[in-house]
Amino acid sequence: MKTYKKLVAGALLASALVSQAVAQEAVKLGVIFPTRTIIGEQAVHGAELAAKQINDAGGILDGRMVELIVYDSNFSAVDGVSAAQRLLTQDGVKYILGEISSTVAFAVIPVVESEEALAMLAMPKHPDVTNSGYENVFRLNSTSQIDAASFGKYLTETVKPEKVAVLVQNDDIGLTSLEQMKQLFGEKVVFSDIFDVKQADFSALATNVRASGADLVCVTAANPEQSGGVFRSMADVGYSPKRCLLPGYLNNDLPDVAGAAAEGVFSQDVYIDTIDSELNNTFVKEYLAAQGKVPGKPEVLGFETVWIVAKAIDAAGSYDDVSKVAKVIRDTQWESPRGKLRFNEIGQALTEKLYNTVVKDGRVVRAD
Amino acid sequence: MELLLQQIANGLSLGMAYALVALGLTLVFGVLHVVNFAHGEFYMLGALVTVLVVKSLGLPYIVALLIAIVLVSAVAWVMDIVAVSPVARKPGGDQIVLVSTYAAGLIIVETVLAAIGPTPIAVSGFSGIVHFGSVVLTMHRVFMFAAGIVMICGLYMLFTRTNFGRSLRAVAQSDYAAKVVGIDVERIKTLTFVLAGGIAGLAGGLIAPIITFNATMGLHAGIHAFVVVVIGSMGSIPGAVVCGLSLGMIESVLSIFLGQHVAATLIYSLLLVTLFVRPQGLFQGALR
Repeated sequence: MKTYKKLVAGALLASALVSQAVAQEAVKLGVIFPTRTIIGEQAVHGAELAAKQINDAGGILDGRMVELIVYDSNFSAVDGVSAAQRLLTQDGVKYILGEISSTVAFAVIPVVESEEALAMLAMPKHPDVTNSGYENVFRLNSTSQIDAASFGKYLTETVKPEKVAVLVQNDDIGLTSLEQMKQLFGEKVVFSDIFDVKQADFSALATNVRASGADLVCVTAANPEQSGGVFRSMADVGYSPKRCLLPGYLNNDLPDVAGAAAEGVFSQDVYIDTIDSELNNTFVKEYLAAQGKVPGKPEVLGFETVWIVAKAIDAAGSYDDVSKVAKVIRDTQWESPRGKLRFNEIGQALTEKLYNTVVKDGRVVRAD
Repeated sequence: MELLLQQIANGLSLGMAYALVALGLTLVFGVLHVVNFAHGEFYMLGALVTVLVVKSLGLPYIVALLIAIVLVSAVAWVMDIVAVSPVARKPGGDQIVLVSTYAAGLIIVETVLAAIGPTPIAVSGFSGIVHFGSVVLTMHRVFMFAAGIVMICGLYMLFTRTNFGRSLRAVAQSDYAAKVVGIDVERIKTLTFVLAGGIAGLAGGLIAPIITFNATMGLHAGIHAFVVVVIGSMGSIPGAVVCGLSLGMIESVLSIFLGQHVAATLIYSLLLVTLFVRPQGLFQGALR
């Protein structure tokens, strides 16, 4: 009898310990980005800051900490799918956050759907990313269509170029933007060219675009090595027309890479670090303290992936009920460093505005 | 005509960059008869050392170049000890070296990524613009081209006028015959590998101000170098130089008519054509 009591007491103690362990078990969120690129690293830093802020505030679901499991998607559909499968099947994660490439997103979404998980995509721009038919897919970045409508209006009504040159990287974002610029400007596009995403020397390209006589050169390049290389090479051959970057790709790395050649380059973006709100001021201050530089759009979108999903899980009161979490995401107006945002019926984040930005004195600032 | 001349000048500059990276690769193949898959990483390390010395230590660019040569040579020496010499001596070692150098290259890239991160870092070389009639080149591109010519001439002198050069060419022809005449073959191979590392380090340092350092730059440069080396005949120094310059000019000039991405793709097409028509390359046996 005594032994029986000991066994029961032991079992109860073990059960209590297990319960406590479960209660304290971290909430796992899977994060995929091309972590070995600057833009991917920036986004991961943003995601990590969100997790830190949430954990510092006591976590979610009655004190559970948020734990990020980060894998490299390497700008590759194969690597992205592999990372998502590993997160969903080996790590037991139900939420895939992040990514930059639309190509990777298209490949990952069926994997997410097959596991009945949720995807909160950060930066893919292709309009069809949120048209898969799977209702648990969300996207934070503006689409290339939203960008084109806003930036196109700015270019045609404010910049008013006579001759336009369009230089794009050879991927889905670049080729889509090239088509949009051709539709927008028609015969005013006097020169266009496509360069490899790993291209390093742009002297030949700069020479050809100079020969076109364009008074506006628009560049689509995700990495500042490429956009900086293009603008530096243009300056090297003494060519200084108006220059713009596709919305979303102008951040302070460009003046760091291109130096004086970046001065005057303009764009639009969903975020600028000078937005005056309590959440953004805290975000900028803490990011600056952690990384030693002010955040840009990749950081804020990385931040939002974790910030919104973690808070939605908390509001839904459940990690496992993915549909309920998705409903909370869809039904809530979210506060973010960039302002208020809401998701439409297909999971696309709708922001209040795009900001006009320009490089001035070696730093990206608001142009208006 | 002005556009064509400018693109020829651009092409010579681009081609010299190709040739500089390809030189060390072809040298290693010519003497050690192995392919060094980490060669692009030596080039990346040369750029990294140059960037760090200029930006962190504030030393002049020329000094940074010299430090890059020394440090990357040292890394090459370590790699030879760890991943090349012990492997190459074994039966089938020339093929295993492909894997061991590839692994070593990955370790280098991952180490640099972990230490520096993926952030690109720009460094200034020689500032200013040089006009040749209507053709415009930056001072640094002119310097890189001139430095490349000096290095090629220096290598020629080294190979033809020194005991080391004669020994190196003997080993390139036959390990066995070189041993018979008393040459320390293993030492020559190690020195060759270190020399190739130094050349790659110099190439990285010379090109860094033009293209901006990033930790993965070696991979792309390495692929281009392989194309140059294969077309120019593996092991041929003149082949690497002539083909590097030629491919740079072809790429630049064709970009006028075909666009940048088609012109770059054509380079890989030339590789295929060469492998079909003249698999031994255009300059077979030139080192010997």
